[in-house]
Amino acid sequence: MPDNNKSLVVVQLSGGNDAMNTVVPYTDGIYHDSRAAIRLTEEQVIDVNGSLGLHPAMGSVKKLWDQGNVAIINGIGYPTPNRSHFRSMDIWHTAVSDSIAPDGWLGRTIREMDPNHENVLTGVNFGLGLPRSLHCKEVPVASVGNLDTYGLMTDIKDTQNRDYALSFFSRMYGPNSGRDAIMEALGQNGINAMIGADILRGANDSYASSVEYADNPISNNLRDIAKVMFADIGTRIYYAQHGSFDTHAGELMNHEKLWSDLSVALGDFFDDLKAHGRDKDVTVLLFSEFGRRIEDNGSGTDHGSGGVAFVMGGSVNGGFFGEQPSLEIPEQVEGDMRFNNDFRSTYATLLDQWLNVDPYPILGDHYEQHELIGKV
Amino acid sequence: MANNNDTLLMAHLMRRAGFGASRIELDALVEQGYDETVDHIIDAKPEIPVSDYMIRRYQPDHGSLMGSTTNGSNWLYRMIWSDVAFQEKIALFWHGIFATGYSKLANGKVLHDQIKMFSKHGLGSFENLLVEISRDPAMIVWLDNCESHKGAINENYGRELLELFSMGTGNYTEQDIKEASRAFTGWTIANTEYMTLKSQRDSIWPYGRLSFHFEYDPDDHDDDEKTFLGRTGKFNGEDIVKIICEQKATANFISRHMYSFFVADEPPVPEWPYKEPNDSAAIDALSSVYFDSGFDIKEMLRFLFKSEFFKSEKVWNKRVKSPVELVAGALRLTKEFDRPSREEYFTCLRTSYMGQWLMHPPSVEGWHWGTEWLDSGTLVERVNFSSSSLGNLKSAGVKNIAENIRKSIKAPFKPEQVIDLALDQLGALIVSDNTRSNLVEYAESNFKSIDDDSKIADISNEDVGEVLKLVGAMPEFQRA
Amino acid sequence: MPTSVSNIVYKSTLGITAMQGRGFYFPYDFAFDNSKKMYVLGRGHDGDPRGCRITVMDFEEEYYGTFGSHGEQDGQFIWPSSIAINSQDKIFVSDEYLDKIIVLSTSGEFLFSWGQHGTGDGDFDGPNGLTFDGDGNLLVVDHRNGRIQVFDEEGGFIRKFGSVGNNEGQMDLPWGISTDSNGHIYVADWGNHRVQEFLADETFVKNFGYYGNEDGQLIHPSSVTVDSNGFVYIADWGNHRLQVYDSEANFICSTRGEATLSKWAQEFLDTNVEEKEARLKSELVFKLDGFEDDPHEESAHVEKFLWSPTAVKVHNEYVLIAESNRHRLQVFHQLS
Repeated sequence: MPDNNKSLVVVQLSGGNDAMNTVVPYTDGIYHDSRAAIRLTEEQVIDVNGSLGLHPAMGSVKKLWDQGNVAIINGIGYPTPNRSHFRSMDIWHTAVSDSIAPDGWLGRTIREMDPNHENVLTGVNFGLGLPRSLHCKEVPVASVGNLDTYGLMTDIKDTQNRDYALSFFSRMYGPNSGRDAIMEALGQNGINAMIGADILRGANDSYASSVEYADNPISNNLRDIAKVMFADIGTRIYYAQHGSFDTHAGELMNHEKLWSDLSVALGDFFDDLKAHGRDKDVTVLLFSEFGRRIEDNGSGTDHGSGGVAFVMGGSVNGGFFGEQPSLEIPEQVEGDMRFNNDFRSTYATLLDQWLNVDPYPILGDHYEQHELIGKV
Repeated sequence: MANNNDTLLMAHLMRRAGFGASRIELDALVEQGYDETVDHIIDAKPEIPVSDYMIRRYQPDHGSLMGSTTNGSNWLYRMIWSDVAFQEKIALFWHGIFATGYSKLANGKVLHDQIKMFSKHGLGSFENLLVEISRDPAMIVWLDNCESHKGAINENYGRELLELFSMGTGNYTEQDIKEASRAFTGWTIANTEYMTLKSQRDSIWPYGRLSFHFEYDPDDHDDDEKTFLGRTGKFNGEDIVKIICEQKATANFISRHMYSFFVADEPPVPEWPYKEPNDSAAIDALSSVYFDSGFDIKEMLRFLFKSEFFKSEKVWNKRVKSPVELVAGALRLTKEFDRPSREEYFTCLRTSYMGQWLMHPPSVEGWHWGTEWLDSGTLVERVNFSSSSLGNLKSAGVKNIAENIRKSIKAPFKPEQVIDLALDQLGALIVSDNTRSNLVEYAESNFKSIDDDSKIADISNEDVGEVLKLVGAMPEFQRA
Repeated sequence: MPTSVSNIVYKSTLGITAMQGRGFYFPYDFAFDNSKKMYVLGRGHDGDPRGCRITVMDFEEEYYGTFGSHGEQDGQFIWPSSIAINSQDKIFVSDEYLDKIIVLSTSGEFLFSWGQHGTGDGDFDGPNGLTFDGDGNLLVVDHRNGRIQVFDEEGGFIRKFGSVGNNEGQMDLPWGISTDSNGHIYVADWGNHRVQEFLADETFVKNFGYYGNEDGQLIHPSSVTVDSNGFVYIADWGNHRLQVYDSEANFICSTRGEATLSKWAQEFLDTNVEEKEARLKSELVFKLDGFEDDPHEESAHVEKFLWSPTAVKVHNEYVLIAESNRHRLQVFHQLS
């Protein structure tokens, strides 16, 4: 299939997803001993390979796993782990761990894919506020809070009135507006914004599906992604966030709801993709900025390191990549799981094998890749 | 109606030395006189009608100021409620230069304290300000000076002090950076290990966050001889600052920043070694005032606002409003918030959707300004915000403006009156012919039914509000 | 009259910061039910809905769960302010944004609510402090209307008193309210920097405190409670301290607070050993220039001090005080 059909959906699990209660080493005594308050039992987890099981709320993910469409990357992280949300998320966003970089790996990717900004919708973020991962100088990325209501001057509720007002907007920002450098920038971006909004509205209107998504933010976002995807407007990078996974307290209840919502949403999303013949064109990456401590704190867990990422899609080689970190004390890093594969390996894999983009200029270094993509 | 030049000039001053002013406010200032207004703004002790106590009672997080958006939201209150916004503008100016970010500190209170320090010391001597920022606990942690020790320096603060906070690249050597770093050893915070650990772990436990405070550790201070910019001595931090302030490069660098923030957008800082200032004469003039006044920032700004290069029409509207300026300016006009309100938090968050999350600069380089604020993503947020705020009749200020417009419509009625009155009421705004003719045409279709002067009385606030929405969306509103 | 004890004696601290689950996030009030379970009302903050909830625990720091959430549906809160529990174990919560009183069972089930914005009988403009009187009626501080309204336990309006102002019987943005065993009513008159005492028939009796930061003076008091010996405890919110007066309004003593590690706090540090160790090496109590005139600033730095105390109540032989900015309650022995 032509490369232009292949798209990457990145779902950020914000707050530090507890890897150990997601992919559970349920036969390991240390797991049970360390987590008196929040451990999951053998009966509760969904067994995957006899020693690891998925969180009980991940039924849909297990279904995809059984189809061979889920890659689980255990022990993912980076050297000298940072346990601050912002700093660690910045590291995952910029793919730079030893200094502060201003732009994001996906922003750079979009720049590689579309250096002349021919398509302002090459990357679309679903949610408000552009995450740094998508940020790159001169790279336009739309941030869509809600596809249904996205657009310019959405304060004017009546569509006809709004379109009428927008016709004046386009003339105020259009070529006759008299140009100094500032007006040039305003004009170009204003018109691009209008074009983008129009195209996205079209995608919203043309969507038809028999899949009924649940009504919660992550389901809404994934459905919006599907809408845009099926409209074939050339978007290649999609982004959404889910959270907060920062389960310092009340973890059992909160983590369960987070994964339940997410797993169901992913199930619906893949059903929708399949129904539209798109499941092989899409790869989904789930990641979080760090995992959590091995020991619980009486009600939840605190920030740790060594997390888990998932790569899912019809073209993915299902299986385990990376190793399940040992919980033995000598292997721990200050009470956390030790990482054994750099997240940039996963990025490099997706860039190179899936998006067909050279990872080196984006990541600044060579990283060993996983054999994640392409059916064996 | 004709706006006389005095009003237009005053509008320009208020957009730059504050967050803008409505027509009514401008009239009072024009009465006062231009130079008198400059002096008044610069010397004023601003008053805020809603006390900290009031805010904290309803919004307790403003009491601890620990959260990542709360302290920006707290600052936004001051920006929109201060009777003279100049001090908040200055604090914003310094915040963009001494850019210190929540991401590493995970502690809003210490950032709030830094901004408070800018309000207190940001208009005094630049030498004093550099000493204060060197002692600032947020800065010390942000640039790792607490990790810089006698015999094992960390160069981060020394480097940025020279590169970003005073002279600019090319005016010192790597050796100078090392010597400066040596001079600042011992400039640290109390309980360093616990405080930095809590920052790294984003630890709000057990009982919330704790404020940092400066501590000088003489045992960790390298008090041997140092050679800095050609001078030799047993320099401590203050001595380094003194030498820095005496350099022409410092005068030029700070002057250029002032020019960019208050007069017209300059190219981004990394390009400064390669691109001449847009107005070298202005920079030279400001540098002279810098030296003549003993590094006095206030006097530099007083000179700036009274100078021809500032007052000239050539620089009117020659800046792209930063997201914070856009939002603060609009809220001062609309008066949407007159008391502590949970909605204000979400409004403040919108500046982050526009690319400027207060107290979260992406790095110590601060935010890139000018046309870099604009892309097709941020512009949607910006336009939608301006359009919906200026057209929201529930806000007291908008209602007032709509009423003033209606009251001022004269027979024979022409829809273009509504536009001209709106532009005037919103602060004597100047627009291009293209913008005006489009706004007028829009008004003409909206007021089609007012085809007889007796129907002027039928014009409602809502009718005016519809037109204000498009006025808010115009490109000129994005500029200052 | 027994000789007054010159100091109030600290006992312990309860709670820990938690944006959700076991702990509190900006606690604004608390109340005990008939089985001595304690319900701590978290105000949360505008940007994060999770903090807005009721945490159920007991005095021995057993944790029973949370209920309630942020929102405008039945049983949800936006700006929850006070909590009171009647003899039928019904929980009443005032919401000063929604202008409602919301009634829940002790398991968190929504029972009913009443109120809307306004100045009429049964309307509210920022309902705040809550307390039950000896007849089982609910007294509500309707703070922006400067008045106290009295309702029966079904929400039926009975009577009201007070108006906006600073004379006797007038109030300026009052906050907390309490009654004593004689049926006297005490109101923390926040804007007037005093506590007013009324008879059960609403006749003004006297004031406690006036503006200032010296002994016996108050800045924006938030809450007041009276023990069985007639000692009056006032949460001096603006001065970040607890002050104690005798029944004649004479100042007896005050405390800035002496918080130590609660059971939950200790558990956190035991799990997070590096923080525990770094903390042990730290000097957590110190004095800086400017602290004298600015207790808010001092409390930001010195963890053991009260920081924005919002509610003070008596429980058995103890006095408990909630502090919103430190997400905990400090426990003192009653004066004797």
